Amino acid sequence: MKTLFATTRRQLLALAGGAAMATAVTVPAFAQEAYPSRPITFVCAFPAGSGADVLVRYFANGIQESTGHTIIVENKPGAAGSISAEYVARSDPDGYTVYVHSGFSTAVNYSLWNTPAIDPRTDLMGVAGLSALAFYLVVGVDSPYQTIEDLNAYLLEAGDQATFGASATSGRLLTAQYLSELGASPVEVPYRTGAELIPDVVNGAVDFAVTDGVNALVQQREGRLRLLATGAGTRMEVAPDVPSLTEFGMDVDQVGVWGAYVAPGTPQEIVDQLAAMFDGVLATEETREFLARAGSIVWRATPAEVDQQMADDVELGAYLVDLAGIPKN
Amino acid sequence: MSDFVSNLSLGFSVAFSWQAMAYCFLGVSLGTFIGVLPGIGSLAAIAMLLPLTFGMEPTHALIMLAGIYYGSNYGGSTASILLNLPGTPSSAVTCIEGYPMSQQGRAGVALFMTAIASFVGSICGMLIMAIFSPPIAALAFSFSAPDFFSLMVLGMIAASTLASGSPIKGLAMIGLGLIMGMVGRDLYSGLLRFSYGVDELYEGLPLVAVALGIFGLPEVIKNAGQITGRTVKAKDISFRSMLPTRDDWRRSWGAMGRGTALGSFFGALPGTGGLLASFMSYATERRLSKEPWRFGKGAIEGIAGPEAANNAAVQTAFIPTLTLGIPGDIVMAIMLGALTIHGIQPGVSVINSHPDLFWGLLVSFLFGNMMLLVLNIPLIGLWVRMLSIPYWVLYPFIVAFICIGVYSVNSSVVDLYVLIFFGFLGVVMTTLKFEPAPLVLGLILGPMLEENMRRALTLSRGDYTVFFTRPISGMFMAMAALVLIWTIYGAIKARSVRRDHLREMARNLPDD
Repeated sequence: MKTLFATTRRQLLALAGGAAMATAVTVPAFAQEAYPSRPITFVCAFPAGSGADVLVRYFANGIQESTGHTIIVENKPGAAGSISAEYVARSDPDGYTVYVHSGFSTAVNYSLWNTPAIDPRTDLMGVAGLSALAFYLVVGVDSPYQTIEDLNAYLLEAGDQATFGASATSGRLLTAQYLSELGASPVEVPYRTGAELIPDVVNGAVDFAVTDGVNALVQQREGRLRLLATGAGTRMEVAPDVPSLTEFGMDVDQVGVWGAYVAPGTPQEIVDQLAAMFDGVLATEETREFLARAGSIVWRATPAEVDQQMADDVELGAYLVDLAGIPKN
Repeated sequence: MSDFVSNLSLGFSVAFSWQAMAYCFLGVSLGTFIGVLPGIGSLAAIAMLLPLTFGMEPTHALIMLAGIYYGSNYGGSTASILLNLPGTPSSAVTCIEGYPMSQQGRAGVALFMTAIASFVGSICGMLIMAIFSPPIAALAFSFSAPDFFSLMVLGMIAASTLASGSPIKGLAMIGLGLIMGMVGRDLYSGLLRFSYGVDELYEGLPLVAVALGIFGLPEVIKNAGQITGRTVKAKDISFRSMLPTRDDWRRSWGAMGRGTALGSFFGALPGTGGLLASFMSYATERRLSKEPWRFGKGAIEGIAGPEAANNAAVQTAFIPTLTLGIPGDIVMAIMLGALTIHGIQPGVSVINSHPDLFWGLLVSFLFGNMMLLVLNIPLIGLWVRMLSIPYWVLYPFIVAFICIGVYSVNSSVVDLYVLIFFGFLGVVMTTLKFEPAPLVLGLILGPMLEENMRRALTLSRGDYTVFFTRPISGMFMAMAALVLIWTIYGAIKARSVRRDHLREMARNLPDD
């Protein structure tokens, strides 16, 4: 489908520059126009150029190429995504402002604040599923623990003499559930980023660590880490040799899903149209390869499934935040 | 050895692509331009141009930003020598000998020697970076929390006490910076500290806004209306007038060598950098000189040493930044931010996981410094002419670009309020002669310092001796103690000299 007026790329860029002005000029003129009649904005909660931004821009470019619609990526980082989530939730429900972000992180955020800015179950509407990223339990290559069973045995025996490193809230949540299933209580050492955590795992300062799929798979490839298990419910396609904790009788199923969301009250036909645009890009082999490089797998889901996943994740998030004992802000 | 050769050839293949060369040229030209203009330093320039690099390859972005950084150190000396106005803080030392030389009609010689000394310092610094980075990076995997903590303590103590100005004020500013570094989310509990309900402060005070506020705005406010039409005629500087005499060369070689050594060492310490290195080099030359009375009246070794030191430090500052993820100085902190923006997590693995970036950047230094030699010797007349741009044209543009640069990083208005707040704080601090650099340093290193200290204590089960018993950490702590003792000794000695002097004067007073 083509846009209603034939604009050149340059004109569209000019529109992007003065988005507010462009809106004022075009919207009243076409009250009954077909969607989309002007550029769609993807809101990214991470800074321009970051790993997450690359993912958002990949989908923006993919949709732009396959449909011819202009997509603008707007970076609004801050407060672990709360600022951009609120921005999208309060935007006009017209399908022109789309939040492309980790649904799991948005769900967990709801339990991290005393007065959350939004309730993601009612203030955001699912459009499409995008990808799924798992976290991994890792040790250094020189570590004595070859399998997750070795580690389990050690942790149960060592008690609070053992230590572990965790980066990001998702990492803390996964360890909390793993340790509660195991019944062990090693001392937690938090790290700001996955990269910061690597030396201490490699040199054995901490006994094991939990980190995201991007970091874990890269460091494994470079021969620094051994991946003992994944926190996803089943083995991940990107790391088929790594067992899941469920294979050892642990009830752990945490996967960081990414999705696209819009403001509540957006007309169903617009949501469906947007969903079709995302699905067109998701169906390609190129996307599967792109996501695999980032340690992720494709997650294709209908708007209803995305909403259901969000509801489940909010519930799981509340349980895990409580389990991990993370205080609310 | 074969590793070294293959690494270097990788670097050459990256740095000599035409895009990399173009960005390098753009970087060093912009850097020289910005360095020549008094008022805005390389920090402001890098922060302002950061948003322009979002669409580039990370390696190209870093090559350009680095070019601005070391280019501004070449250019900074030009304004120091010709107008007695330091273009960048680290070229302040060059004023002391450079301006008298230009009053004696030897400006050309001073400019020429500056370019040569900068080149020598840079190339040596670059070689040191090439030789020492891989072993340090290999060692980096045995660095643990106590070692990071102690290295930062050493850097902060050295930066605040050895630099110009009062050590007490320096330490006070570091302390204030550390306190400000606490704003934002506490890593251990996940709770927000001192954010007073402003969600935008979740990640802490925005560094670019703070740095531009405290370094960029006060310079503009301070210089506005003060610099009147003191202009230099470009035709005064001919190539012939630039050639140093045999005597000048004889005096300068040793100074350059010592300056390079000092600069390479202090550059590699986190937090210290070029400013400290150039002051130390100047003090050393003066102390070693057989004719100390020549200093302050146009001694050429007082330019050659500090310029070599300054530029060597600029290159070696990349060592801790790229091997350990600890910024060598404030500009390096912004560079680390740029890396993060480009999806490269700074930390111990940058050199291993992105060898093309590391070695490409390193080889681009060689290329950039050669371009700077051309820009600063045959083309010096061009830059001298720049000095005649009226400030009423320039400053409004600078302020506008600072605001755009700050806003574009996070698209957040809160960052602009932070910019204004720190702009005014900067004016107050400059008036009261408090150095802003230690404050920003404390702000940058504060969270890293706190997290590593708490991590070290968690891992050692609350045993504080871990900072002294681990070999790497213990060595840094011992060095920090030496620096502190030396400073206190220096202060006591200076006081007793002053007291003796007063007593002497009192004795010589006629009795009534």
